[in-house]
Amino acid sequence: MTRCWLALVAEQAAGATVQAEVRNADGEPAGWLAAWRQRAKPVRDARRIDERIIDPAGTPAWISLVLPASGALLAFDDLAVQHARRRVLAEPPQDAVSTLMRDASHFEGAITVARGAGVPRLADDPFARIFPARILRVGAGVLGAVAAPAGPTIERYGSANPWPWDRFERLEHRT
Amino acid sequence: MSVDLSPGRPFPDIELADHASSPRRLSELTAGDPVVLQFFRGWWCPKEQAFFRRLITLQDEAEVAYSRIVSVSVDPPAVSAAFRAGLGARWTFLSDPDRSAQAELGLRETTDTLNDPYVPAVFSLLPDLTIHRAYDGYWFWGRPTAEELRRDMREISAAIRADWAAPAA
Repeated sequence: MTRCWLALVAEQAAGATVQAEVRNADGEPAGWLAAWRQRAKPVRDARRIDERIIDPAGTPAWISLVLPASGALLAFDDLAVQHARRRVLAEPPQDAVSTLMRDASHFEGAITVARGAGVPRLADDPFARIFPARILRVGAGVLGAVAAPAGPTIERYGSANPWPWDRFERLEHRT
Repeated sequence: MSVDLSPGRPFPDIELADHASSPRRLSELTAGDPVVLQFFRGWWCPKEQAFFRRLITLQDEAEVAYSRIVSVSVDPPAVSAAFRAGLGARWTFLSDPDRSAQAELGLRETTDTLNDPYVPAVFSLLPDLTIHRAYDGYWFWGRPTAEELRRDMREISAAIRADWAAPAA
């Protein structure tokens, strides 16, 4: 099974599938956002991401990147994580969103991608109420746009795949 | 000639814009789960407002029960988005302002020549879009109760989930 990993790294990452330079809201360099499509974790701080939002043809975007300090994590079943997902489903959709995770059951961050009119709403990222968020500008070639998650279901996707990916991995055996 | 929307028949895999104007296929929205597919007249109909309150009460259960709700009307996406937000709905609304799917499905309410809305109808669907039950909601009492929808979702889930009987030791 191929997985998709995301990390904010200090310098260009060797072997990344896609990557682009990142700047903060003041235009100062803030590292590189890199993604890898591979099974093994590529770098120490990489987290799994819904691979649909990775797009080599993606245009520059603003992101809200929620990345708790290493070791800080919450169960996907935590009420705060549940309610943040409800808010994402209820509010006008952004270009893309994914939770970030390393194991099968813990929330370890989120990324929300915005362009155009959605950018000011990044300041009200529901996931930023769980852990601190950084608003960053990402160059072209990493992040695409994905249709809004289909609600109201929020369960399951934090267990096998980063939410909002909405398929059981063994779906073909269930239907 | 419109399609046969009887139980046991496949529901057409319609493609319409969602409340954010993104094109969506019904088969994409099911995501392997049972679905309550609702066609409604529009935000202005008091019967629809009453029925939506019923669906909202089911939303918290569907949220954790691996079940989907999809609502379809002729309202344009911006109107659907506003109505959805006002309701507090967290499921997908589809828009058919040019009435293309409405014609394909044969679900135009012929007695309302002002709005040409969808006739109120509810279908419970299997993930492969097979129709489990169909409800004609032209008269309000023809619409499914919350209990009937729970029953449908239970019956479909029992049929499709290989581990419906809990794996216990």
